[in-house]
Amino acid sequence: MSARQSRSASTPIPAARNIEQVIPMSFTMPPAPMVASRPRLISNTRPLTHSTSDRGMMSTSVGRTNIVNSPAGSFPPGSYSSIVARPIVGNNNANHPPFEPRIIRATTSPTTTTPSDPTCFPSSPPPRVRRQSSTSRHPSTLSTPVVNVRSVPPPTNVIPSTGNASSLSTSQAFPRPTYLDHSAFRDLIRTNVSTTVQSADPPLAHVPNTITTTYAPYPYMGRMTSPSMDSDEDSTSTTPPPVRISHASSSKDVWRGKANFPLPTRWSEMDRHTSLAISSDGRDLRFCGPSCTGDRESAAARANEPIPPACGIYYYEVEILHKGGKGHISIGFSSADVKLTRLPGWEKHSWGYHADDGWSFPGHKDGNPYGPTFDTGDIIGCGIDFSQNKAFYTKNGNFLGLVFENVGNDLEVYPSIGLRHAEEAVRANFGQAPFKFAIEDYVHCARDQVWSGIQSVPANWTVLGGGIAQPENSFEQKKAVDEDVESKEALKRLVFDYLAHHGYLKTAHAFKAQCERRSATQIIQPTETAEADDMDTDEGPSSPSPPITGEEQGLRTRVHIMKAVLGGDIDEALTQTQTHYPSVLEREQGLMLFKLRCRKFIELILEASDALKKAKSSDDNPSTGDVGNQEIVRGREATKKGRPVASEQDEEIDETQMDDGGAMEVDDPSPEAHSHSSNSPSLEVSSSVTATTDETTHMVALDVNPISRSSSSSSTRSSSKAVAKAALDEALRYGQILDGDYRPDTRPEIKNHLRRTFGVVAYTDPLAAGGEVAEMAGQESRNKLATELNQAILESQGKPTHPALEMLYRQTAACVAELGSQGVGAAAFADMSREFLDA
Amino acid sequence: MPPQPKTIIRKEDWERRLHDVPLTREDLNRLVMDYLVIEGYKTAAEEFSREAELSPAVDLESIESRMSIREALQRGDVGEAITRVNDLNPEILDTNPALYFRLQQQKLIEFIRQGRIPEALEFAQEELAPRGEENPEFLSELERTMALLAFESSPLAPPAIAELLSPGQRLKTASAVNAAILESFSQAKEAKLNGVLKLMSWGTSMLEEKASFPKLDVSEGTFN
Repeated sequence: MSARQSRSASTPIPAARNIEQVIPMSFTMPPAPMVASRPRLISNTRPLTHSTSDRGMMSTSVGRTNIVNSPAGSFPPGSYSSIVARPIVGNNNANHPPFEPRIIRATTSPTTTTPSDPTCFPSSPPPRVRRQSSTSRHPSTLSTPVVNVRSVPPPTNVIPSTGNASSLSTSQAFPRPTYLDHSAFRDLIRTNVSTTVQSADPPLAHVPNTITTTYAPYPYMGRMTSPSMDSDEDSTSTTPPPVRISHASSSKDVWRGKANFPLPTRWSEMDRHTSLAISSDGRDLRFCGPSCTGDRESAAARANEPIPPACGIYYYEVEILHKGGKGHISIGFSSADVKLTRLPGWEKHSWGYHADDGWSFPGHKDGNPYGPTFDTGDIIGCGIDFSQNKAFYTKNGNFLGLVFENVGNDLEVYPSIGLRHAEEAVRANFGQAPFKFAIEDYVHCARDQVWSGIQSVPANWTVLGGGIAQPENSFEQKKAVDEDVESKEALKRLVFDYLAHHGYLKTAHAFKAQCERRSATQIIQPTETAEADDMDTDEGPSSPSPPITGEEQGLRTRVHIMKAVLGGDIDEALTQTQTHYPSVLEREQGLMLFKLRCRKFIELILEASDALKKAKSSDDNPSTGDVGNQEIVRGREATKKGRPVASEQDEEIDETQMDDGGAMEVDDPSPEAHSHSSNSPSLEVSSSVTATTDETTHMVALDVNPISRSSSSSSTRSSSKAVAKAALDEALRYGQILDGDYRPDTRPEIKNHLRRTFGVVAYTDPLAAGGEVAEMAGQESRNKLATELNQAILESQGKPTHPALEMLYRQTAACVAELGSQGVGAAAFADMSREFLDA
Repeated sequence: MPPQPKTIIRKEDWERRLHDVPLTREDLNRLVMDYLVIEGYKTAAEEFSREAELSPAVDLESIESRMSIREALQRGDVGEAITRVNDLNPEILDTNPALYFRLQQQKLIEFIRQGRIPEALEFAQEELAPRGEENPEFLSELERTMALLAFESSPLAPPAIAELLSPGQRLKTASAVNAAILESFSQAKEAKLNGVLKLMSWGTSMLEEKASFPKLDVSEGTFN
């Protein structure tokens, strides 16, 4: 099991940057990276070059290579050695004995963390992986072998001496069996992952640390009330507390942090008794050598991967190719610590169904009658239902019943087969081919059953945290009633809270009114309330609204602010926020204020862009358009420099607003204005700017109307031009102040945002510009800002930044995912996106 | 197997996982809409479809009849509810004897609540007793209900008896009828959000055995 640790996504990448530096061969040749990526399988590299052309035949004729020289299902009798000696068709260098796993193990040991465990390298890396890596040149696939690479002879010179080369080259990738579609973790279950890449990774114990270091402050737990779990983390996690994670020593941890769950795809070259020969495609097992005598002697093999409980139900089938003389064949499962000299089912942590007597053996020699015997040609299916930790078997497509307890409970198990006598041979189907048994239907039923089982238990409010305390002696049924009621009440609160959080004001009102009416119906018996329903949906002053509580008022203010942002009225948002939630603008050294002001600037630019469009459209004289363009050019230059625009412009603007003292003051791009800001820019600045802009906006509004009425008159033309110019000047002036205020702020977040904000100026029509500019200017950016501001306001009120309803879903999904990682099979059948999100 | 040590999942790690859960505002809005429709908040559902720019999955008008039945039950007017259910679809009660019994039981409860004891007795003998003979479960429910007469609004009544008079009992009956109607329209029986709550409850208790992780107080939306 510890071998499993060696997987993680964080394989150290070799220092060498350039692949060519590391591996002295051209990467345009497909075989080369294969060699490079797996030097320990030197012997296998040669056949890889053939595998492509051979593949088609491989799929139909399994073992035309070393061991098996005939199609599946008909092992010719013959000695082990004679089969081996047969040259591989189409392989020039094919004179290699097929099985010397120990040699492979020796060469590979440097790359593994726990060489003692043979299962560590599902060894036989399917060559397809190599092919992938050769095209993608992913560093991680190259990282492992670098050390050895220089000692690898060029592939053309390789005379394979060890290993069953063809067995590696013929293992076929196959799509995930469809019955696994019923697992919620289906997208993580892999049949064709690069097992070698995984096994070459450093121990999994590192993973939690990695997570810690890449921690970004997600706001979900912004309101941790009492961190009972880690009391030392109370202080807002500035200094990470000592890691208290149990290191990956148990099978539980093995699944954790895995990006995916590899399926068994073949028998393991390593993890098998030496008397068992494996076919080229890894699916056939054949007993070679002298038959075992005595109960102690048997020969077992395990698959290359443990079965992920995240499958929910796992299933494979075995065809009995040859029963041999006595049919001492056991089909089942075992953990990696079970001796390979024993039939599955005889030893603890193994389970088996035996061909000769049809008995099942649950981990000791006292078996029980279970099913029929089986014989040459029979197809035996073998599954684990991880939702109950029971196994089941099928024979020729017929279900034989559930059997065994605690199969794979907190224990990694592998498909395993045991043989005892010469000529015994089986062929496994790990999903490469259609199954005889209708496993998909079976899993579907099991899934539905598990799901309805989960759904039939009322929510337990002691578990969910907020429930009413149950009286100790309450009746079971009473409890159920209460929980039902409690759930309903809780959902009401959650939904209302959600609506309020996101500012669905009318819905919230309608919902609340209906809730109140219902609870009224329950207690009194009014029959006439029904009409009152549709009245109280509007917040308008005309409708008789319920007395406004503080909370209600807060909600309205918040929604008002959000709507202001969404509508681009940043001044209103700023003013209201300043009035009602002043602390919000000061948060994080004025970050929120900064973002709002940046948005304000963008809104001004958009206004200017609009005004310019209007001026252009109202204009039949093309020369005016030029003027507009010139202005833009000027503006562009100004912002590029990041310095004040030409003083001429300033004067013009100042003339129009001479009476506004505040405007004058702010417009002054003097050092004082700049020095104003440091880390928390003064609010005065922004409010005076607000005043200025209001003025301008009004002016624009006044002037625009006549334009539309008589667009041909020259006076309107010039006035619309003036409006456009004024708008642009206004925007640029605001930009200067903004720049001045925040230039000294060295926070990268500020700098980056400022840069992106000013990027908008470069375009006459930012919304049409596309890319980052349009993103910055568009509605989506307003939405984002509104959401951020909303969260900030809620947080300042001591409320969660995310609605409890959202947290409920996220928390549930995280729980289910973790259960899947922990090997709780039932979690695989709690498919949230399917149950709750799909329409 | 020796008991496995509990995995400890740290706050930061957990927070990242919460973040990684694929979930959009639209997903949540649809869950809320589903809730409003299934639970019969018609006006709210209408408003929500406007405010969230979301079309409800069902015809909102169909909510209305469902809700009037529910309201009838919640104010204790069982007769009205039965009539309306039959107006809606007579097969609902015909094919569901347990539900019909439940409604009759509720009617009996309402008689007792109102102190109309003679009517209660007559109703029990004529309508309920024959059904009790058919089904032992019905019989024991009938007995439980009749026990109300013995205690007659006495505070000494055992909880299992007294709860029959609680608003929760009406709610339960109303929910059962609501579910049956929804089912007859081949709609989901209960709001998906309810399912999330149950799954949360299941998942939390399962995971508590295996790992130590930040727990969510669902009512507050806070972690503790």
